[in-house]
Amino acid sequence: MAQTTQSEPAKPKSPNKSVSRRPLEGVRVIDLTKIVAGPNATRMLATMGAEVIRVEWHDQRALDLLRGVLPKAPGGEADSLNRSGLFNNINPGKYGITLNMSLPQGRDLFKRLIAKAAVLCENYSPGQMERWELGYDSLRKINPGLVYLQISGMGKSGTYNDYLSVGPTAQALSGLTHMSGLPAPMPPAGWGYSYLNHSTGYYGAMHVMLALLNRRRTGRGCYIDLSQTEVGVMTSGTATLEAQLTGQPTPRYGNRMPAADWAPHGAYPCRGPDEWITLAVQTDEQWQACVAEIGSPDWARDARFRTAAGRKAHEDDLDRLMAEFTKSEDRYELMHRLQKQGVPAGVVQTAADRYLRDPQLKERGAFVPLPHSEIGTWPIEGFPAKFHTMPVEVGGLPGRAAPCMGEDNDAVYRDVLGLTPETIAQLREDWII
Amino acid sequence: MNTEAALSAALDGTVVIENGDERGEFAGVLLASFGADVIKLEGRQGSPSRRLGPFSSSQPDPEQSLCFWRYNLGKKSVRLEVDQPAGRNVLERLGQCADVIIDAGEAADIDRRLGLYQEMRESNPRLIVCTITPFGLDGPYRNFKMTDLTQLAMGGVMASCGYDPRPDTMYDTPPIAPGMWHAYHIACEHAVIAITAALNFRELDELTGEGDCIDVSIHEAVSTCTEVALPSYIYNEKVVQRQTGRHAGVGRTPPWLRRTKDGRYVKAFLFWGDRDVRIITEMLNEAGIEHDLESDAYRELAERSPSEAHKRFSTLIDTLVLSMTAEEVFHRAQAKGLLWASVRYPEENIDDPHFQARGTFQPIRQPGLDRDLSYPASVATDGKRRVTAFQRGAPRLGEHTQEVLKQAGFSDNEISVLAGQGVI
Repeated sequence: MAQTTQSEPAKPKSPNKSVSRRPLEGVRVIDLTKIVAGPNATRMLATMGAEVIRVEWHDQRALDLLRGVLPKAPGGEADSLNRSGLFNNINPGKYGITLNMSLPQGRDLFKRLIAKAAVLCENYSPGQMERWELGYDSLRKINPGLVYLQISGMGKSGTYNDYLSVGPTAQALSGLTHMSGLPAPMPPAGWGYSYLNHSTGYYGAMHVMLALLNRRRTGRGCYIDLSQTEVGVMTSGTATLEAQLTGQPTPRYGNRMPAADWAPHGAYPCRGPDEWITLAVQTDEQWQACVAEIGSPDWARDARFRTAAGRKAHEDDLDRLMAEFTKSEDRYELMHRLQKQGVPAGVVQTAADRYLRDPQLKERGAFVPLPHSEIGTWPIEGFPAKFHTMPVEVGGLPGRAAPCMGEDNDAVYRDVLGLTPETIAQLREDWII
Repeated sequence: MNTEAALSAALDGTVVIENGDERGEFAGVLLASFGADVIKLEGRQGSPSRRLGPFSSSQPDPEQSLCFWRYNLGKKSVRLEVDQPAGRNVLERLGQCADVIIDAGEAADIDRRLGLYQEMRESNPRLIVCTITPFGLDGPYRNFKMTDLTQLAMGGVMASCGYDPRPDTMYDTPPIAPGMWHAYHIACEHAVIAITAALNFRELDELTGEGDCIDVSIHEAVSTCTEVALPSYIYNEKVVQRQTGRHAGVGRTPPWLRRTKDGRYVKAFLFWGDRDVRIITEMLNEAGIEHDLESDAYRELAERSPSEAHKRFSTLIDTLVLSMTAEEVFHRAQAKGLLWASVRYPEENIDDPHFQARGTFQPIRQPGLDRDLSYPASVATDGKRRVTAFQRGAPRLGEHTQEVLKQAGFSDNEISVLAGQGVI
């Protein structure tokens, strides 16, 4: 198995015991998010050193479904809520508590947590927080400096404010699904995963950190109503502009380059089953280097392909001939040969390729082994940058992967709210935590 | 102060110098949308993205590139040959009053400037230097030539995007790069997260707060953005397979994309629970479409052969969807509580009352164009209005050279000499 090491259960540090100065030192985040978009935002904040306290509950309506999805770490109890690999990868560096928000006592405890926090992130269904009287207007009375990030599919204002959405919904509406794929009459290929779950998390994190900068200056918090669909609109490139000028609907280009005469520009089959290489020739010099490296075959020396404009004009033929050539080639060997000649070429890497066969990711430490209290130590995707000074660690303050359900109840309720062990035991007994 | 003023001005007074090529331009746009003063350095030929289409003019024109406009909104342009000795001196002086430098491009090119950036940090310790390169500044692939396409391939996005395989499980269609510049979007979003973290870090202690050097790898950024693909392999040694218009998976899943009466598509997926069956039944009844979902025969089929029942159910949904336009399906399904959406062209959102109410798009007029264009400008509101906006459109080449240099203390004579030397 790909598990890096077996280990003893993690022993996380208690909240408030930060060992060094981190960018978000002293920032407490109450994390009431589920699935991927919201948890990705708080993942970033935890990576930057915030004390992120994830609030969950066992009830099916409140449970984060991600705890139950595949893949699961092998072994263990089949119905354990602590074995999802995706959940583990999306929630490292956070503390985990349980809290029954459907009970008034639970909501009272929640308000006490809010009073001691800088940030609340949540992505509940439309109207849920207001039904609990925990909307921004209520919570800012408790904590005027609160930065409240509310993530939803369409946004909490506007005419679709009560529409329901998950990643694929937002991708369809924003235009991203339409733009991905081979030209009509082929249907859209769309995105093969919830891209906007990732991106929305990124925008959530940056909005919160900028609101925190503001708060340092003004002492004031704010409400941020973040729309997943608008994140898709924001990343739709030049399509909306071009359509306004031409009056024509945005077309799809497959893997071709619509903005310049770059050709060949696409994915070409290689020797193994479903193995592909991408080529993106930007200049005549690169094309000449490519032709020389592949042995100057007659087809590649065709006068039609001598210039960028010619290659673009005859792209169908060029792609067909290039694919004939690449299909007998080893994808990695060809990539290295072309790269040596300065030709942009990259293997279409699967997850297995990235994990097992990518020396760059390995050398840069892209996978960070982090302990988990039930499933041991597993590689977690790290933050994709190196920092000279700042301690930026995906394991966050606890130095750990995702928390088990309610794993930090004792530490959080004791250290943050000052509850006694007896009170905590009673709350547990009363099914409040 | 209202929230809009607060967040759109969060970076008021923050000076960002942007150097390099198209790989880093989106980071500057995002920072500008929060009020930063983003100064884009361009060589005398202008940034490479000025030569990327489409163009608003009939012929390619570096001042009419929609690609440049989109990815350089809200910035100032300073013409400067930064790799000439005199250009380096100018950059060094500009850096004395800057908060952030973004430099994007190939690692070998940026290597030439790293020493200068180090010197600039010594004279201005609060400076944050953020490089954005294909693979980061070190590692065995650091000098690979890359584009957006090859990054989406290497980083794993393409392996999850495309079309269903043939019935024999072999693919006869390629993996798909799902649109342009997404590798750069992902990398720049991470760069902005890192920069905003560094801005917070700097404020931890006002007396000693220092900036940092941030080395963003586009490859790593893309690779962290493939959702379940890596965990599927790491935990279960399963590789996800591409599927048409829906999530790649370790096993085949039912279709989501369905054709509508107006020849468009909707994304109509189901969780196959009782609730969804009830809602679809209601919608079929309302549309007057005959079905047997409420019959004993269907219930027996569902018990005896769930896959056959699902197939029949799915066919009925196809019929239902085909009886309406995409927008009708979207609104009626949402009214019933289904998570469906029409597959829109991106431009169809510009005039949509929802996005108009939220101020998602901002009208901006570029010089040389006799009309406003609506640009995506914000992803959030304060409950009523958008929280980010652009103070200006994209700059003409060198439009702000004099203004910026004078603000940095250059005299008219110095500026004239630099112009004579071909540095600006």
